[in-house]
Amino acid sequence: MNLVLLQNWLDNASFAILFMTMLLYWTGVAFPRMSYLPALGTAGMAIANLCIATLLGARWLEAGYFPISNLYESLFFLTWGITAVHLIAENNTRSRLVGVVTTPVAMGISAFAALTLPNDMQSAAPLVPALKSNWLMMHVSVMMISYAALMVGSLLAIAFLVVTRGQKVALQGSSVGTGGYRNNGYVLHKAGEVTPTEINLDNSVAAFQSNGSSTAVIEAVKTIQTPNPTHSEPLSPQRLSLADTLDNISYRVIGLGFPLLTIGIIAGAVWANEAWGSYWSWDPKETWALITWLVFAAYLHARITRGWQGRRPAILAATGFVVVWVCYLGVNLLGKGLHSYGWFF
Amino acid sequence: MSLDSAKSNLWLSLRRFFRREFLPVLTDLRLAIVLLLAIAVFSISGTVIEQGQSVPFYQANYPEEPALFGFLSWKVLLSLGLDHVYRTWWFLALLILFGSSLTACTFRRQLPALKWFARTWKFYKQPQQFRKFALSAEVDRTPLDNLVPFLEKRYQVFREGDALYASRGLVGRVGPIVVHASMILILVGAIWGALTGFMAQEMVASGESFKVQNIVDAGPWATPQIPQDWSVRVNRFWIDYTPTGGIDQFYSDLSVIDNQGQEVKHKKIFVNEPLRHRGVTFYQTDWGIAAIRIRLNKSPILQLPMARLNTNGQGRLWATWIPTKPDLSAGVSLVARDLQGMLLLYDTTGQLINTVRPGMAVEVNGVKLKIEEVVGSTGLQIKADPGIPFVYSGFGLLMLGVIMSYVSHSQVWALQKDGKLYIGGKTNRAHVAFEREFLTLLEQLGQKQIIEEHNSVQAIANQDA
Repeated sequence: MNLVLLQNWLDNASFAILFMTMLLYWTGVAFPRMSYLPALGTAGMAIANLCIATLLGARWLEAGYFPISNLYESLFFLTWGITAVHLIAENNTRSRLVGVVTTPVAMGISAFAALTLPNDMQSAAPLVPALKSNWLMMHVSVMMISYAALMVGSLLAIAFLVVTRGQKVALQGSSVGTGGYRNNGYVLHKAGEVTPTEINLDNSVAAFQSNGSSTAVIEAVKTIQTPNPTHSEPLSPQRLSLADTLDNISYRVIGLGFPLLTIGIIAGAVWANEAWGSYWSWDPKETWALITWLVFAAYLHARITRGWQGRRPAILAATGFVVVWVCYLGVNLLGKGLHSYGWFF
Repeated sequence: MSLDSAKSNLWLSLRRFFRREFLPVLTDLRLAIVLLLAIAVFSISGTVIEQGQSVPFYQANYPEEPALFGFLSWKVLLSLGLDHVYRTWWFLALLILFGSSLTACTFRRQLPALKWFARTWKFYKQPQQFRKFALSAEVDRTPLDNLVPFLEKRYQVFREGDALYASRGLVGRVGPIVVHASMILILVGAIWGALTGFMAQEMVASGESFKVQNIVDAGPWATPQIPQDWSVRVNRFWIDYTPTGGIDQFYSDLSVIDNQGQEVKHKKIFVNEPLRHRGVTFYQTDWGIAAIRIRLNKSPILQLPMARLNTNGQGRLWATWIPTKPDLSAGVSLVARDLQGMLLLYDTTGQLINTVRPGMAVEVNGVKLKIEEVVGSTGLQIKADPGIPFVYSGFGLLMLGVIMSYVSHSQVWALQKDGKLYIGGKTNRAHVAFEREFLTLLEQLGQKQIIEEHNSVQAIANQDA
């Protein structure tokens, strides 16, 4: 089979599938009763993921090196990473909201790579001597997956900011273990009796959860009702709100991207030291990777700082979305170097 | 008051100031966040403004009228050191402050957190204690023993009478400590390397020997690292080209020569594959054309040096002048672009008169000029960095630490009292996943209870029958 033809077919196909998937997720939010929509969305995401994996695999066969050396390949690798992180995050949290924010970005990147990039930038080109090393695979793939995870995490933080606009929020989840305790003012109530405190916790969120089933575990609650409903003041689990859920998924996904970014930067530093004897030279790409690292390190520290909790860390994470993009593509505008993918203006 | 006691008073008050005023500020998380973001912001300036250019460059690109953003003229730029941001005193001061904050935090906050492991397992003996957990439940008619099999799969379970404590993912608590300590190690390694390391660059023609002399950058204690009693010979330098004419790889065949002229080491280096000898590393980084070997009519082989032309960054060209008359009254200029391609011949008026390839001959001014060989020179970067072992171990620990830090530390408490089973749990990071896990646990517990009750009812029924 003609590998080049297969690639051309696959890149357009992955764009089309991601576009459909985006529509599925968005319709799913607009019509929460159609519960098969998110399932279809997940399937679409998985198919897109496999399409891109095949595309990159075909390119690997064709060019003979790990396919993340030019802009086209790295954009598709990034899209693959975003779909993969999406599937992990969705599987861990059973939240249909993940797809609402990840699909537009994945779709946008694949559209740019498949439709906008000029043809000569899409074709495979031989590697320059400096990149001929096994470190290329190690360094670049880890960096790209970390970008994907950080982007998804930042997008979820933006979603959190949208959901909680105009509210005060206490964060759940950090290295020191904030959260996990009952809200102050939460009154343990007798079963079958609805207390006003529970309702005004978060009206919009409660509405979302009841009709949207934002997490699949809601069904489980019914089955764990205490065997003796007439008993006074039974303890029952206090569920996370939609905002808490979003915030925690965002934190966990960034928590996954941050170690990957650290490992990627270190792999790059070790490679640079092995290849030309300096593990840090303040080249623009290196510096922006460090800036990204610093911004997300600040985010992780802000979560455990008294007085900075609530929406502020999420704002930092949302800023991180821009920083990751500057680090990934913006640096190309600043100058040429080993890290440059080339550009078309 | 004696001078001594005044001195010790001053010392004491300084120490008090350090402990009571300075350390709390230094270990304040908000300072750490501000420092992280400040380093990020100032680093950006160095990626936007071209670094390490000449003064005329900044004069041309950052004129005084109109100044960029109304203030950033070349004078302001140079006086702030924005042409070398990462080596300015204020950037280094920021890094030192960051290092101090990191060190203070590691010893005052992170390492003391290890005490957490020294304490005995906390069992909850009162049902009220379960009320503080968001995730807690009470279950009737379920013995504590039913809970254990579900927990044992993933948790470490401790029991004390009717109380149970289970935990999982303790490494998640150690992770951040490892991260902070390893970063100190990296900083120490970087400082040690800057003080004791050196970097040199040499451009050596194929076939020549050299000692490391052209030191570009060296720390104050770098002298012992610079090789004195051995030298290196470039046996051969060549370039492999791809079929389309692009460069595939640069190679230098190097020998390490001791004082007696004996070869002690031999290696072919290329980009990504350096030569190491006694802590000094030779990297393939650059190349050039050193000379040309020619033959005029039936002359012996003559070697003429080639000089690099100033092209203002428009490609790399080397040239030499070849006399074609014994009194040097006539000759041609020869220009080369690389080691294998076409060589261009120009006459004294600057007209292109012919082209020739290495190994071929051409007739100029009535003389047969044969190009025997274009002699390449290899550009080597030479470096010693005694800080590397520290930096690399720091890297290793840092990677380990960040991975450990992803793990969420989950804890579950249970108590059997007055015919009820109380269960509570919390985790420090993965709240969403833990909530699901906790609810699944309760569900499993309920199902097991139903099955057991069903079984016991059947058993009774069987007995009755």
